[in-house]
Amino acid sequence: MPAISTENLTVQYGDYYALENLSVEIEHPSLVVIMGPNGAGKTTFLKALLGLITYSGKIRIFNKPPQEARELIGYLPQRDTINMNVPLRVKDVLLLPLTSRSLSIKKEYVSLAKQNLSRVGMAEHWNSKFGALSGGQQQRVLFARALMTNPKILILDEPFSATDVKTKMSLINMLHQLKKEMTILIVLHDINPMVECTDRVLLLNKKLIAYGQVSEVINEENMAKLYGTHIPVIQRGNVCYVMGGDRHA
Amino acid sequence: MLDILVLRGIIAVFLISAVSATVGSFSIFRGSTFFVSGIAHGALAGAALGIFIALTFFTVDYLVVALLFAILFALAIGYASHRNENVDVAVGIMFAVSMSLAVLFLSMIREYASVAWGLIIGDILLLSQADIEILVVSVTFIVLIFLIFFRKFLYVVFDSESAEASGLHVFRYETLLFILMAVGVVSLLKCVGAILVYALLIIPAAAARRAFPTVEGTIAGAFIIALVSGLFGIGMSFVVNVAPSSMAGLFAAGVYALTLFRK
Repeated sequence: MPAISTENLTVQYGDYYALENLSVEIEHPSLVVIMGPNGAGKTTFLKALLGLITYSGKIRIFNKPPQEARELIGYLPQRDTINMNVPLRVKDVLLLPLTSRSLSIKKEYVSLAKQNLSRVGMAEHWNSKFGALSGGQQQRVLFARALMTNPKILILDEPFSATDVKTKMSLINMLHQLKKEMTILIVLHDINPMVECTDRVLLLNKKLIAYGQVSEVINEENMAKLYGTHIPVIQRGNVCYVMGGDRHA
Repeated sequence: MLDILVLRGIIAVFLISAVSATVGSFSIFRGSTFFVSGIAHGALAGAALGIFIALTFFTVDYLVVALLFAILFALAIGYASHRNENVDVAVGIMFAVSMSLAVLFLSMIREYASVAWGLIIGDILLLSQADIEILVVSVTFIVLIFLIFFRKFLYVVFDSESAEASGLHVFRYETLLFILMAVGVVSLLKCVGAILVYALLIIPAAAARRAFPTVEGTIAGAFIIALVSGLFGIGMSFVVNVAPSSMAGLFAAGVYALTLFRK
């Protein structure tokens, strides 16, 4: 059974089509990178999968509609959606997805939160103020929070924004481990750091441009279709590198 | 007679502090402090309408109409926000609408307009037994709802997108939060007035957030600052013979100013 399948998925805001007739099947477990220019509908696609927006067509997540599959998904939003006026500590941020469902904080929630915080290398920040952390540290805490419900699917919207190279590499190593048991969808502008652990790439520009393995999909022809300009691609064996990265995003 | 009025005033200060700790803190967290001011003026229009209805049609407590009006405005602002309107813009529009209605209704009840105008200034030392009973009921309601939904409110205010993705009905909780803010504002009108409701709801929470920057610290700090400000206001009103709420507002503002110097 695929983790995610969509049939003719269309999202429309008034007369504007953010996504048109997107049909795709994503296997479980796997790591899929979603690429496309700004305004290509990448975040819209994620929001449709999360059941946050209305759409036409069909979405199935482990054969359930998005609204019934929420407990299966861990979500890392773009950091600018977080309200920094709320003076939460790191432990509060981690515990919110679980404690917002019950009146008390159970011991197992705390031990799971500590475990996830250790996984992202932030164990010493358990009592730190979330707002006082650097952008990269906040991103790691939010990453740990996405794991709190033991999801089968992890949806990450630009997870490497504001992270330094070291943090990025440690998160990528984590994703490498997690993809053995989870389906991971990541919106990225620059695929290069992820090339070696990516199973499939979904190129999106309101419509599906291409979907397949890195070596099949990442080529100059598809990059031209995606970004509307020539972007050099270097191929070394089964690995491809897009020259330009964020410059063309 | 004076003693019982002072006693009621002190009880009211405790209750106001609980509203400041809950409604005030979440207004600061949500960044919707202007909402409190807008709702206070909406309630003023409702009070004027209530007096007009009582004079013209049937007996009704004008504070009940003020509460209904404030809740209606809160729902309208919540809906506009849900439809992607900026909350400040929605509050600004409702502010203008409510003041237009207030002027209209006040012109229709000329001889009794002073009753509605009394809600602009308020007086914590002139509360009746019924006023205290209403305050106890509304504050109990507010605190109870906050206790039950505290973590859901936090999640919705901190990260509404993830909260919605996890299955929480964000619009429902935001609307409930707006309603609690409306109830909080109206319940304080007779005590501190529409203008100074802002001072005792928002300033203590704003100061507490700076002085004790955790959620629990802000809530506890807002309670203590509002309590001390209120008691200071009552005490000073005997010394300098001015309205207690003005002294309380100035004291709270002074505490806030001190927190600005904190490293």
